[in-house]
Amino acid sequence: MFDLIIRNITNRKVRSALTICGIALGIFAVIVMGAMSENFHQTFERSMSVTSDKIRVFAESGVFGGGLTDNKVSDVLRVAGVKDAYGLLMTTFDEDKMGMTGKQILGVPPEKSSVALNPVELKAGRFLNPGDSYSVVVGNNIKREYGLEVGSKFEIHDKYFTVVGILEYTGSIFDNAVIIPLETAQDLYNVGDSVSYIFAVPDERVDAEMLSKRIELSVKGTSTLSPGELEVQARQSFMIFSVITISSGLLAAIIGGLCVMNTMLMSVAERTREFGILKAIGAETRDILLLTLGEASFMGLLGGILGILVGVGAVYIMNAWLATTRIVLFLITPRLLIIAMVFALLIGALSGLYPAYRASKMSPMEALKHA
Amino acid sequence: MHEMGIGEKGLETAKKHKREGNKPNLRNEGQKVIMQVENLSKTYTQGKIPVHALRCACITVRKGELLAIMGPSGSGKSTLLALIGTLEKATEGKIILDGTDLTSVPEKLLPGVRREKIGFIFQHYNLIPTLSALENVELAMRFSGVPKKERKERAKALLDDLGLGDRLNHKPTELSGGEQQRVSIARALANRPALILADEPTGEVDSKTRDSIVRTFKELSEKGQTILVVTHDPEVAKECSRVLRITDGVIKDY
Repeated sequence: MFDLIIRNITNRKVRSALTICGIALGIFAVIVMGAMSENFHQTFERSMSVTSDKIRVFAESGVFGGGLTDNKVSDVLRVAGVKDAYGLLMTTFDEDKMGMTGKQILGVPPEKSSVALNPVELKAGRFLNPGDSYSVVVGNNIKREYGLEVGSKFEIHDKYFTVVGILEYTGSIFDNAVIIPLETAQDLYNVGDSVSYIFAVPDERVDAEMLSKRIELSVKGTSTLSPGELEVQARQSFMIFSVITISSGLLAAIIGGLCVMNTMLMSVAERTREFGILKAIGAETRDILLLTLGEASFMGLLGGILGILVGVGAVYIMNAWLATTRIVLFLITPRLLIIAMVFALLIGALSGLYPAYRASKMSPMEALKHA
Repeated sequence: MHEMGIGEKGLETAKKHKREGNKPNLRNEGQKVIMQVENLSKTYTQGKIPVHALRCACITVRKGELLAIMGPSGSGKSTLLALIGTLEKATEGKIILDGTDLTSVPEKLLPGVRREKIGFIFQHYNLIPTLSALENVELAMRFSGVPKKERKERAKALLDDLGLGDRLNHKPTELSGGEQQRVSIARALANRPALILADEPTGEVDSKTRDSIVRTFKELSEKGQTILVVTHDPEVAKECSRVLRITDGVIKDY
């Protein structure tokens, strides 16, 4: 039966090729949009795992509202259940690029740099030590972009820093982080003793959600974001992004599916007499179904393979191009490839169902009378 | 309600046939009865008007008979063929072919009956255009589950016998009308059916090809193959062992 399916597809070369291209285009969109979503998903998951044990304490007026100073750190530390607390200053590295590159300066108390970044590990060198002032620990992307090694000099805001440590690649926001001592950062950006937020680490066996509420009530002028709240917020944003990207891909793939259905309906209409002949010489209903459905599914398979190849190629080219600006936007995962392939096969098979049903239900006599 | 397709005289004849049955051919008298058609009727409806395409047809066919069915257009010959070929359902009556009552076979099992017991030859050849001569003949056996090697050998042998040994890999468009019809004969013979139904098999060929096709039918008939030929052509009919005439849905013996 498979040879008949192949023959029917190759017999109508142009039409089959156009149909396969239709599906390929849909799957291409699924791959590109999906790769974007996968990249965000990975960054999100890894970032969450890196910061999941800490409560963020902000000024009531928000992270950009100011008003949060080092003094508040000791207030937070006094709240029962808080094991540790320290302020961080966060600002964009490329001020001229409006932060579009995702690179961030992170001012961290040197003695807290290893715990603040936990569980991120060092690839080389060390974390910041007490007494460090113009030392810097850089994320893996920063190291690659600027060709930094431990001991290299790195210019930040017209000052030269010595690279003392390089972080392992994490796939999270820390790959684009430039970590310097908090006081140096405050001086460099002239913000006095302001911090962007405070990390509060709960004691063991203390419920982070409860502690988060307690900090809000105990330390005036602050609002908190517990690990759970942060995850919910982040997941919501991620979901919206995923829905938008995946729906665009799905829409394109559904159009590809309609393309197959149209082709198969035309093919069935043209071959009505042929189906009549097949029935007259003893073909079963299931033979006709298999033949028609097989054609549609096989075109789905070919379209899927083509779409994946072109999609992966396009993602590779775009990632290579974006690498010059240090933006990683796409990530191809085995999961995405499997989803795209299964989806292509489903599109083919589902689009072929109705035409196959029509072909199999034809009365042989009526089909034979067909011109 | 006005009835179409059969007059009073025709109805009388049909009733007479119902009483007496159709006379078997003397030449094949010693042979076993391969098909018995009893009181076969087919009524269509055109809107609300019933059209009697076939009425009380009774035919007895013996093994190896080459039987011609003649009649003007719209007389019911193709309907008779479609009913025997299980392509349509009879309104009334029985068709017993090779011991099986075709009218009582469930719809689901009819493809099996068509594969094993009946071979079709059509006026327009009806070959699959994308397949070669050999593959067209193989196709019928493919649905019967004949192993690939065997069906290739059988198809080759059949085409060889019909003088198409050198045209095995030609597509229908690369064959003449006569050659296409011989491929279609080979296809009809592929599953060694009890009965071959040929609907105007010489309708689209020249007289030389027609004679060659009729000669093939006669040879097959002599080897014991039963063939029912619907034809307009008296030259074809005169070569058959028996001729049935059908007018207004009623069968008469010649």
